[in-house]
Amino acid sequence: MSISIQAATRTSDGPLLQLEDVRTHFQTPRGLVRAVDGVSLTLERGKALGIVGESGSGKTILSRSIMGLLPTRGTIRQGSIRFEGREIGGLSRRAMRDVWGKEMAMIFQDPMTSLNPLMKIGAQIAEPLRIHLDMSRSDAWATAERLMQDVRIPAPGRRLRQYPHELSGGMRQRIMIAIAMACGPTLLLADEPTTALDVTVQAQILDLLGEQRRDRNMSLLLVTHDLGVVAGHTDEIGVMYGGKLVEMAPTGELFANMKMPYTEALLQSIPKLADASHTRLNVIGGRPPDLVNPPIGCRFSPRCPYVQDRCREEEPPLVPTVEDPRHTYACWYPVGSPEYHETKARRQREAEVAA
Amino acid sequence: MTTAIAATEATRDAEKVKPARKQRHLGWMFGTAWLVVLSVCALFANQLPFIRTYDAKIKIAGKAKGYNFGPGWTAWLGTDNSSHDVFARCIYGARQTLIIGIGATIIGLTVGGLLGVIAGYYRGWVDRVVSVIVDCLLAMPALLLALLLIQRTDQIKETITALGWLTRTEEITVTLGVLAIAPFARIVRAQTLGLRERDFVLAARSLGAKSQRVIWREIMPNLVPAMVTVAVTGLGILIAAEGTLAFLGLGVPRPQTWGTMIDAARDDLSKAWWATMFPCLFLFLTVLSFNFIGDHLARKFDIREAAV
Amino acid sequence: MRYFLQRLLQFAIVFFLVTFGVMVFMRIGMNKPGDPARTMLGGLVPDDKAAAVNKQYHLNDNLFSQYFFWLTKMFRGDFGISVQQNVTVANYMKGRVLVTFFLGFYSLLWALIIAVPVAVYQAYRRDSNFDRAGNLFSFLFVSLPALVLAPFIIQLFVIRLGWFPRISEKVMPWQDLGAHFKNFFLPVLVLTLPLAAIFSRLLRADIVQTLQSDFITLASAKGVPPSRVLWTHALRNSLFSLLSSVGVQLGAIVGGALVVEQYFTMKGMGALLLTSILSKDLFVVQSVTAIVVAVVSLANLLIDLLYAVIDPRIRHARALT
Repeated sequence: MSISIQAATRTSDGPLLQLEDVRTHFQTPRGLVRAVDGVSLTLERGKALGIVGESGSGKTILSRSIMGLLPTRGTIRQGSIRFEGREIGGLSRRAMRDVWGKEMAMIFQDPMTSLNPLMKIGAQIAEPLRIHLDMSRSDAWATAERLMQDVRIPAPGRRLRQYPHELSGGMRQRIMIAIAMACGPTLLLADEPTTALDVTVQAQILDLLGEQRRDRNMSLLLVTHDLGVVAGHTDEIGVMYGGKLVEMAPTGELFANMKMPYTEALLQSIPKLADASHTRLNVIGGRPPDLVNPPIGCRFSPRCPYVQDRCREEEPPLVPTVEDPRHTYACWYPVGSPEYHETKARRQREAEVAA
Repeated sequence: MTTAIAATEATRDAEKVKPARKQRHLGWMFGTAWLVVLSVCALFANQLPFIRTYDAKIKIAGKAKGYNFGPGWTAWLGTDNSSHDVFARCIYGARQTLIIGIGATIIGLTVGGLLGVIAGYYRGWVDRVVSVIVDCLLAMPALLLALLLIQRTDQIKETITALGWLTRTEEITVTLGVLAIAPFARIVRAQTLGLRERDFVLAARSLGAKSQRVIWREIMPNLVPAMVTVAVTGLGILIAAEGTLAFLGLGVPRPQTWGTMIDAARDDLSKAWWATMFPCLFLFLTVLSFNFIGDHLARKFDIREAAV
Repeated sequence: MRYFLQRLLQFAIVFFLVTFGVMVFMRIGMNKPGDPARTMLGGLVPDDKAAAVNKQYHLNDNLFSQYFFWLTKMFRGDFGISVQQNVTVANYMKGRVLVTFFLGFYSLLWALIIAVPVAVYQAYRRDSNFDRAGNLFSFLFVSLPALVLAPFIIQLFVIRLGWFPRISEKVMPWQDLGAHFKNFFLPVLVLTLPLAAIFSRLLRADIVQTLQSDFITLASAKGVPPSRVLWTHALRNSLFSLLSSVGVQLGAIVGGALVVEQYFTMKGMGALLLTSILSKDLFVVQSVTAIVVAVVSLANLLIDLLYAVIDPRIRHARALT
């Protein structure tokens, strides 16, 4: 009951989430790990933003930083995170507890390990309802059953009383979504929600997320390493590399007109159905940057096929494109520039010679 | 894909930044130091000038009265009821206790280890038989079993003269060794079960290596860290058990061990605390040292079942 | 259910093997007829008397029929006779069982009452000063067997402070509750401290591990307060080592009671066992051992059931097999 009320009374002035120069560093024996190193972005109400990057790009830590779900010891958090017009960047875990689950919820990667194995499904969905909305046990369980219906779980009345191990991975991820949506949050953070699932189930879960988001007027931050996953399910995409945003654009614009060689490389690493079955996949050579000693200049420069001297010396700023001010990128010689074409042509010649 | 979980690793590292490293080092260094000093004293008790002989009595005006001296310069840790030097007796007790403890550990480790490996490797009915033996041994409270074994062996010696050569020390050693078999077998079996499915063992087996060879060449060497760790922790427990047996009157008559000394002096605790407390302290520090070292090894080899 | 029956069968096998083993062991070396009786009676008895005792208790039969004779009587509640004390074993034990029961019960209870909150808080504030102090203390107390701890406790509480009696009288709670606690406090303390140390060490390690699981992070992300995360989500998932350790330690408590009863001159089962073993009181040893083994094994069986109560995965796996 309170879910619909919450969704309806939402004010719609100002962006829902605004990050400004967010930095999250960890003190480790090896040195300071700059997991997130100056990220600014804005998420409007009801919109979906995809954050894409390899493992180690800082995308997971970024989503955890927004939640404030970080270990307290050895963690340095800087920058501003405004949520519903309120600064939450510096809040303690204690203060965040009223936000967690109620206004902001998170879905984790692995549904097999993310549910308490000793607790009934119903109790796990009902838990946030009882804590945040002060529901009675029976109300909370009734709501839990409705939520399970919403996420398309057959025979929810029976499933309520079952334990996680009795459900399949896809089912469990649906339960995770039900838990996340229980109190009608305005922001849903999904960290690789489909990576651990079978391919056939992946699409179902993504569709479910999109549908629920529209029904409940939620915003979604979808973190993934797979450009294919975000393509059809987000309004905007941010590409992260080495703890920084390197390109950001509305989804259609990004695919039509990508500027960063890294984004291009990510796209090329997705196998296409049209390719012959023995086509070799394009792999991005090298490794993600060391976040303790990041490369000087552009962080992608050691792996970039179109690298120039300047890239190794000066770090490119995030600048908007001429055509679309919402499309920003950080590259000295973006895809489509003369230098890009020149290098690409040279590489091709070299490859032919070598062959 | 080595960087697959770089980010999560970073968070985990961050949580581990400042563990109580120093404290832990202190612990096992202290343990090693105590055991080294104690062993040297025990080994060379006859040669070292500052240790009196086992039977030396410290008399006042030619008379040996009980508890003449408290801890002090004459007798570092005081004298006991019959005017013996408590310090010297503690050192001789240490020698006896360490010999018994080490002997029992070797027995337990050999028999228990062998049973464990065989059960874990062959599985099936062998495993079931070993499990029943282990269960039976564990069903009896250890101390009860020890009391029965020693008491009975004593009596059996009287009737079966072939066993007459068994000294009390050997009896206790064997008894404690028997006690150690079951826990050792259990741990080694669990470890073997794990190793058995590891790639290098499977590889050796699929190449047609004989079972015996696989056990000796592939499994045994990999059991060593676990066995050493468990042996060290077990040694501490066995020494405590030896003390308890001696306290209950089933100790070695000569040289007495700490347990016997505690039992002999405990009624005079209010009169001469030192005669009870110092053997207690020796026993405590020795067990503590083995625990510290065992814990250190368990951490180092990443073994969780060190708590026997 | 089938799993439970399997465990029950296992229990029965172990029980019969151990009790039979004890009996056989008690008879080894007694070749001449009349030996068992002679042993019990102290050796210096005329042959005809020994023969009479042997006859009365079927001590000359072969081992199996002796065993069945003893066993059937056991199940009928007749534990035999203490030949030396000239009382039935049942009467001999009567006043003593409760002493040891209270010792064991209180020390187990207190050990858990101390260990669980300490371990939970240690794991929650890992590497804090509290955690370090806790680790150090548990290390110290794990290394303090009853034998060593008792003199320290007596020196402090009896001799220095004079708060408690040196000899613990057998006062039952329904007689005088205050005196009951006063008499039982120190012996229980001696047993409790090392036990609490063992329990808290195991539990802390398990909770630390559980706290790193995803479902704990999810619980926090749901806005569940830390106290509930710890006590409901983390603790329940970390109870397994603790429970199995309780089972193992039951045997150790029996051993500890033996020592403690000596120190505080209590007339309990430990003292009874010690006397009867040392004085070769055959029936007492046999029957009491059987009872102790049965109690310890049944308690372990109960703990096995408890696993299933806590963890639905075990429950369901059992339903399947």
